[in-house]
Amino acid sequence: MPANPQYLSSNWQRFAKISAGFLGGYFVTITFHMVLSYWLNHVNVIITSTFTGYILWVGLMIIAFLAKNGWKIWGIYLLITLLFSAIIYFSKIYHPILFS
Amino acid sequence: MKNRIYNVLFHTHTVSGIVISVVLYIIFFAGSFSFFRDEIIGWENNQSVEITNQIQLNFNAALDTLNATYDLHGRDIDISKNHMEQQVRVSISASKDTLATEEAKTSHFLYLDTKDYSEKTYLESYSLGEFLYRLHFLAQIPYPFGYYLAGFIALFFLFAIITGVLVHWKKIVTNFFLFRPLKKLKTLWTDAHTALGMLGLPFQFIYAVTGAFFMIKLVLVAPTVMVLYDGDQAKFYEDLEYSRPTFEPEHNTLTSKIDINYYVEQTKNLWDDFNVTEVHLVNYGDTNMHVLVNGSLDFKTKFTGTGAAIYKVSSNSLVSKKDPIKNTSYLDGVKNTLYRLHFGDYGGYALKIISFALGLISCFVIISGVMIWLVARDKKNIPEKKRRFNKRVAIVYFAISLSMYPITALSFIAVKIFQPEGQLFIYSFYFIGWLLLAIFFTIKKSLYFTNKYTLLSGSILGFLIPIVNGVVTKNWIWKSLYNGDFQVFFIDAFWITLAVITLWITFKLKRKTD
Repeated sequence: MPANPQYLSSNWQRFAKISAGFLGGYFVTITFHMVLSYWLNHVNVIITSTFTGYILWVGLMIIAFLAKNGWKIWGIYLLITLLFSAIIYFSKIYHPILFS
Repeated sequence: MKNRIYNVLFHTHTVSGIVISVVLYIIFFAGSFSFFRDEIIGWENNQSVEITNQIQLNFNAALDTLNATYDLHGRDIDISKNHMEQQVRVSISASKDTLATEEAKTSHFLYLDTKDYSEKTYLESYSLGEFLYRLHFLAQIPYPFGYYLAGFIALFFLFAIITGVLVHWKKIVTNFFLFRPLKKLKTLWTDAHTALGMLGLPFQFIYAVTGAFFMIKLVLVAPTVMVLYDGDQAKFYEDLEYSRPTFEPEHNTLTSKIDINYYVEQTKNLWDDFNVTEVHLVNYGDTNMHVLVNGSLDFKTKFTGTGAAIYKVSSNSLVSKKDPIKNTSYLDGVKNTLYRLHFGDYGGYALKIISFALGLISCFVIISGVMIWLVARDKKNIPEKKRRFNKRVAIVYFAISLSMYPITALSFIAVKIFQPEGQLFIYSFYFIGWLLLAIFFTIKKSLYFTNKYTLLSGSILGFLIPIVNGVVTKNWIWKSLYNGDFQVFFIDAFWITLAVITLWITFKLKRKTD
C-alpha cells in the first residue's frame, strides 16, 4: 500500500510538481477567470469563481502530479498564463469592462 | 487506469491526507459542534429564543436607551441579527454633525440585549459556543495565520477528496455496501474509510470548497481588484453588491418624530414571510436621515430571497426597494448559497443534526485514513526504526484529535459551574486541558487506550452535562422541555444522545493486536 517507489520522483521533480501545481495552477486559474471576465458578464464570472476557482486550481494541482516531467508542466502552465495575460492586456484596451 | 497514474494519485492522496489530518480533524470536530453554536449559547445563558431570522426588538425603545448613553445625533447606526440569540449587534459611527462634541466623535460597537436593552462588549458576551465556532477556522491562532491555515487546509482537503475518489473510482459501485470488519486490520480500516468517505463525499466536497472560499477568498479577490478594477476596491465591493447606498447629512435637525418600528413593519408588510435581519440608520436626527431595512424571505418560502427597502424619514416615504420575490439575481443566488450550504441553517434541526452526524463521520474518515497509513506500513520489509516512528506519529495524532471529545464535554460543565466567565477562562480551560489530555494519551503509548478512554471519559462527562445544568440552574431537562425552553432542552438532550452512542461504541471496542 505505500506507493511503489518506482513511481515516485526525485526531490527536484517533487519540488517542480508541487510548485507547478500550487503556483502555476494558481496563475492559470486567476488569469483564466480574468479572461472570462472581459468577455462575459464580469460580476457573474467573479462570483462563480468563488467556487470554480478552487475546483480548477485543485484540478491543475492533480494534473501537475500526473505529468512525467515537473519542469515541463511548469512550462505549460507558464505558457498558458502568458497567453491568458496577453488576452487580458489586449482585452483591457480593445474590449474593456463597461463599469456602470 | 494506467498503473503509473493510479500510483501517483494514491501517493498524493496519502501524503496530502496525512499532512492535513490533525488540523482537518480539529476543524471538522469543532465545526460539527458549530452547527449548534446558538443552542450552546442559549444553554450557557439559560435562555431560549424563538428560532427566527427576524430581529425581535422594539427599535424605538432600544434607540431611546442608546440615545441616552451616546447622543445619536448625526451618527449612523447599524443593527443586525446574525444569530439566534437574545441580543443584536449594534454598530454606532462617529457623529458627522459639525457641532458634535469630542465624545460624540467616537464610534462604538456593542451587543444589545433585546429584552432589557443592556449592553455587552464582544468580550463580555464571549461564550463556549462562540469559542467552538471560532476554533473551527483556527481564529485563536493569531491573525492572519490561523485563518490562512484553515483556508489552505480546506483547499488541500479538496485535493485529498478528488484524488481519493479517483483512486477508488473502479470500486465505487462494487464496494459501496462492503464492510469487512472481521478480516485483517487493514481491510477493516480501508472499508470504513472508503464507505464513509463515499457517503460523505457530497457533504465533504461542499465544505472543502465553501471552507476554502470563506478563509482564503483574498487570493482570488486581490488579483481581480488589481487587474480588472485597477485597484479600485470600493468599485469592486459596489459591483458585487457588498456596499450600501450612502447619503450625505444636510446638517439641519429633523423635527418630525423618528419611528423605526413603523419602517420595519412597513417593510414586513410589503412581502409575505419576509424577515428583517438588518436595519441601518443613516444620519440620525438629520433632515436627510434615511432608514435602510434589509432582510430575506423565509428559507421555506424561497431559498434566495434577499430584499431591501430604503425610507426617507423627513417625508416618511419609500425611496427604493429590492423585491425579494421577483428581483433575485444569479449574484444573490451564489452569495446566498455559499452561506446556506456551509451553515446548514435552511432546513431546521433535522438538517443540522444530519450535518453534525456527517461532520463526525468525516472525523472518522480522517482517523481511519491515519490508521490505514499506519497499518499498511506495519510490514516486515519496513525497517523497525521507521515502524516505530510511524507508530509514534499515529499515537500523537490520535492523542491530539481524540482528546477533543472529553475536553469539549468538560468545558460545557466548566462554563456552567464557573459562569459567567469570559474569553480568558474559556481559552485557558480548553487549551490547557486539551494539552494535558494530549500529553497523557501520548505517554500511554497505546492507540487502543486512547480510543477507548477518550470515548469513555467523553461519554461519562456527556451524561454529567445535563445533571450539572439541572443542579446549577434548576432548569432540569424535563422542566425546559415542559416550559418550551427549546435551546436549553436541546443541548441537554443532545449530550445524553451523544453520550449513549459513544458509550455503546466504547463497549463494542475489542482490543485488537495493538
